[in-house]
Amino acid sequence: MSAFIHGFDAVIVVYFVVLNSFYAVLLLCALPEIWEQSLLAEDEDLVRLQQVGAPPPISILVPAYNESATITASVTAILTLDYRQYEVIVVNDGSSDETMSRLEDAFNLYEIPRTYPETLETRPIRALYRSRTRPRLLVIDKENGGKADSLNAAINASRWPLVIAVDADTLIEPDAMLRLTRPFSLGLRIAAVGGTVRVANGSVIRDGRVLEPRVAPRFLPGIQVVEYLRSFLYGRLGWNRLGGNMIISGAFGLFRKDHLLEIGGYRTDSIVEDFDVVVRLHRYLLEKRLPYAITFVPDPVAWTEVPETLAVLSRQRERWHRGLILTMWKYRAMLFRPRYRRIGMLGFPFFTFGEMLAPLVEVLGYLVTVVGLLLGFINVPFALLFLLVALGYGMILSIWGILLEEVGFRRYGRASDLVRLLWYAALENFGYRQCTVWFRLKAFWSALRARKTWGRMTRTGFAAAGPRAAA
Amino acid sequence: MTAQNLLLVVAVLQGGSILVLIAVLLVNRWVRRRRRDRVVPRRMVLDEAIKGWAMGDIGPELVVRALEGLPRSDAVEALLAWSVRLTGERWRALAEALERRPWTTRLRAAVRSRTWWRRLEAARFLSIAGTDADLGVIERLLKDPHPAVRIAIAAVLGRIATPRLVNAVLDRLPDMVGPVQAHYAAVLRGQNAITVPLLTERLGLVYDPGLPRIVEFAGRIGDARLREPIAALAAHRDAEVRVQVARALGDYPHASTVASLRTLATDAAWEVRAQAVRSLGRIADADTLEDLRSRLADAVWWVRLRAALALTRLGVTGQGALLHAEVGAHPEARFVARLILGLSPQALAEFAA
Repeated sequence: MSAFIHGFDAVIVVYFVVLNSFYAVLLLCALPEIWEQSLLAEDEDLVRLQQVGAPPPISILVPAYNESATITASVTAILTLDYRQYEVIVVNDGSSDETMSRLEDAFNLYEIPRTYPETLETRPIRALYRSRTRPRLLVIDKENGGKADSLNAAINASRWPLVIAVDADTLIEPDAMLRLTRPFSLGLRIAAVGGTVRVANGSVIRDGRVLEPRVAPRFLPGIQVVEYLRSFLYGRLGWNRLGGNMIISGAFGLFRKDHLLEIGGYRTDSIVEDFDVVVRLHRYLLEKRLPYAITFVPDPVAWTEVPETLAVLSRQRERWHRGLILTMWKYRAMLFRPRYRRIGMLGFPFFTFGEMLAPLVEVLGYLVTVVGLLLGFINVPFALLFLLVALGYGMILSIWGILLEEVGFRRYGRASDLVRLLWYAALENFGYRQCTVWFRLKAFWSALRARKTWGRMTRTGFAAAGPRAAA
Repeated sequence: MTAQNLLLVVAVLQGGSILVLIAVLLVNRWVRRRRRDRVVPRRMVLDEAIKGWAMGDIGPELVVRALEGLPRSDAVEALLAWSVRLTGERWRALAEALERRPWTTRLRAAVRSRTWWRRLEAARFLSIAGTDADLGVIERLLKDPHPAVRIAIAAVLGRIATPRLVNAVLDRLPDMVGPVQAHYAAVLRGQNAITVPLLTERLGLVYDPGLPRIVEFAGRIGDARLREPIAALAAHRDAEVRVQVARALGDYPHASTVASLRTLATDAAWEVRAQAVRSLGRIADADTLEDLRSRLADAVWWVRLRAALALTRLGVTGQGALLHAEVGAHPEARFVARLILGLSPQALAEFAA
């Protein structure tokens, strides 16, 4: 028994060392990347070129299901973006709330005939609407088929060669599209590009715009600010250097439409359609041996509302992790296959062993350590030290995320925001982290039961969040 | 050393790292604030000096001195901001005054730097303060591997254009994406005396693999002298060249152009046909009504769409042709006519763009 516990502990230690070493590599890769990206972001010539030149026209796809709280504010914000040529396609995915009527009232919609080729198969379309006040807007009212189905319907109706999927609960900054298309202006062979998603909770919001970014004073959304910074500013930036991102956020990701059509659009049977579509894009483009890049640009920003209660957070994280497990399983043939280059040899192994299995290993580690302590096989100081080191490492990574934010973008100007960020970076490892491990662990059970539900995501809405934040 | 001791060392190192990171965060804020407090007054001094110099009250040496009071990147930034507001002659005098200052010598030397952001800074500086003595380094920057550097240096061609520099741009055309090419074309449009003969020469190199981009660029320049050399490529064996010819000819409303476009509208490659009917729409010659009407029944969706859009440009007769097609015998023509007739004027304008 003692040998088993010590052996298992050794496995956990090796796993911990390898995984954290890889995180360190990601961080090292993110440093030059953020330096270069922030230089490009501040390059006036490039900004001017995109403003006066002809940036590629874009179709913005906005799937909406029961988004009555936020739909008007976010569509209004999208319709006033600083971009020359774009259309906005909102898809009401059979909402049971007032989403459609709010759209009709706010934008004075009128029905038009459907006159485009339906390349991707979708659930039946009820009607198409244009706006009398906003010529860029097209609204598709369709039967409920899920987010992927809505996106496919919007792709069918879209006119432009680039499409961007934006969540209806997301607020896009006015210059975000210009910034997001920067890699295209630089002549890179881009298949998809993602921007940064930041936490809107607690910020001052008016008319669908984040006027003053603030770190949420409430514990749960506040901690997610740190989590998002870490995930976007060093995770995804690091992957830019390590052979391409495998995640382009579904809330804010730009794709070449021809590639999306070639792979058959979004899969309706996936609960993480954004992750699934990026994996399939990698697979398709690598199999075809086409030169491409799937990259992350940190300065275009979209703001989203994150869960404020544990129940909603639990459902969200459980779904994300269930989607990760199912996607890894579905495309397991790519794992360690040299044909898929760095995606097969680096990205897939990391997401399988470092992300997917991490909660299992962490919980087993906790259990075995407790059992070892109870049976007297492990001494208490050693166990406590190990825990301290593990948590300390998490804290260091979070503070690095904050540092990258401070050096590169400085969105949170107030000293109190910096203090809050550091406070949450410390607190994250005590309770919050263990909760998310538990939520992700539950995902294994639901993945085994092959559950395909999204789980309800309750939102307070930006209109409500704004005045409260300002008060 | 036991495992426990090792963990203890790691924990102590981690604690130290956390403290260092927090210190870096705080110092970073402090340094930025201090720098801002230092730079803002100096920038105001510079702005006043430039205003005085622009009005002829002071000489350029005071401006140069004020520039030297700023950090290098801020000085370049200030020069860029002012360059759009001052006339060429005054600007040339300042560029000459800046030519042999130590900091500008360092900036010029950065052209050979291995890091692209140093070359970018040099390019930004030389784009506004480059002189005839800098032709060599400007050429080097025009051929720089980093696109941001090539974009930054483009503006210099508005002031200094020689056949050597224009040729350097034309050499890089195959690597340029649309917006960058458009940017270069906008700058070089004021230098047609040099650009047009060089482009004409290159349009004659029919086996050049970069020919499609040359034709595209010639179309963007839009000089009347380029119409004939472009039209001469209408029968080129490479479909991509024909696509660019069809696109470029849309800017030349001329009887011979319309004849070439009519031929291209029946090309074997659908991309060429689509582009040709689009250009016919831009020229909007009423005699091409039947050509466009026949393309409504083309085998390819994009050609039909472009033909229908082109018909909207022909006024009442085009509208009539679409209404006719909407109730006509050909199902695909009916479909596309219904699509276009259902679009709002704004949507039509966006489609036609």
